Amino acid sequence: MTEIQTLHILNKSPEHPRFARCLSMAGPEDGILLIENGVLGLGAASARASGKLMVLAPDMAARGVNGGAESAEIIDYERMVELTTRAQQVISW
Amino acid sequence: MQDSTPFSFTLVITGAPYSSQAPQSALSFAAAAIRAGHRVDRVFLYGDGVQLASALASPPSDEPHWPREWSSFLEKHGIPGVACIASALRRGLVDEGEQKRYELTASNLLAPFTIAGLGEWVEGRMSSSRTVYFHGSD
Amino acid sequence: MSTLIVIDQPPYGSWAGREALDMAFSLAAFDQPVSLLFCGAGVNWLRKGQEPGTIRQKSVEKNLAAAPIFGVEALLADGDDCNRYGLEAEQLLDGVTVVQADSQLFTNYSHTAFAG
Repeated sequence: MTEIQTLHILNKSPEHPRFARCLSMAGPEDGILLIENGVLGLGAASARASGKLMVLAPDMAARGVNGGAESAEIIDYERMVELTTRAQQVISW
Repeated sequence: MQDSTPFSFTLVITGAPYSSQAPQSALSFAAAAIRAGHRVDRVFLYGDGVQLASALASPPSDEPHWPREWSSFLEKHGIPGVACIASALRRGLVDEGEQKRYELTASNLLAPFTIAGLGEWVEGRMSSSRTVYFHGSD
Repeated sequence: MSTLIVIDQPPYGSWAGREALDMAFSLAAFDQPVSLLFCGAGVNWLRKGQEPGTIRQKSVEKNLAAAPIFGVEALLADGDDCNRYGLEAEQLLDGVTVVQADSQLFTNYSHTAFAG
């Protein structure tokens, strides 16, 4: 498994200013995990994220989001915990 | 390859129940961390997150009672739950001590939550291997 | 173990920035290295000449002036966002360092946090 420098946990919808800022500040060595309203930005993030993109399955399912996930890893909470232990730093946006 | 080294977490919740998903996401994360053999050192409620510690929340009976679900989770696993005193007092969340000090008509802090200063957060930041924040999404 | 506290919300209209400032002051009080980054609409914290007596709030300008005294290492402002809000260097509070907020900036800190 590749290590990630910073894990960005992004729970904002793509309309929120923090969504674009997170994408622009995440580097190629980073991971971006979309949770809560953030899963609504899966398409936007797929096109623009430079780091590894992940999305939290229960939040996707809750919102009926299933498209745009081809370039993202769909994960559960167990995997989210594992990612936080492997990243050098965790930033919640 | 699984890394089996146990980690310790401080979780910070800044989003309120019923106006954000933060307390739910944090609870799912905390449960997954414990299942994976990690430790949750403490849960710190900050800003609007202190509303999770209200003993007076009364959601409709067909909705989850997030303050009680968190309360029983903390008790079951012996995890300290701390609400920031400055955030709590501003928002009308008080324990018996603060009720007496400010001569208020009631207290409303749900056990096992306690009220303390930001020093608890600083301590968690320094001693836990990871601090993870759960914010509102507005 | 240096911490970066990020303020991206404007002052007075919401409380999140004040609570972010309290976090920074607490770290400093425990001798933990901490800096503040103002970005997005948060750069409006740094404008000289705030008179919030008109809306019965305490001046965040005064709070920020005290930051170095309390031990906050740096007040950083994103340059692009200062431009967006028409903030020229001479309109910024004393002691503010204008930076470019990018992924490199985070690597200087072991922790980065928003207040909410």
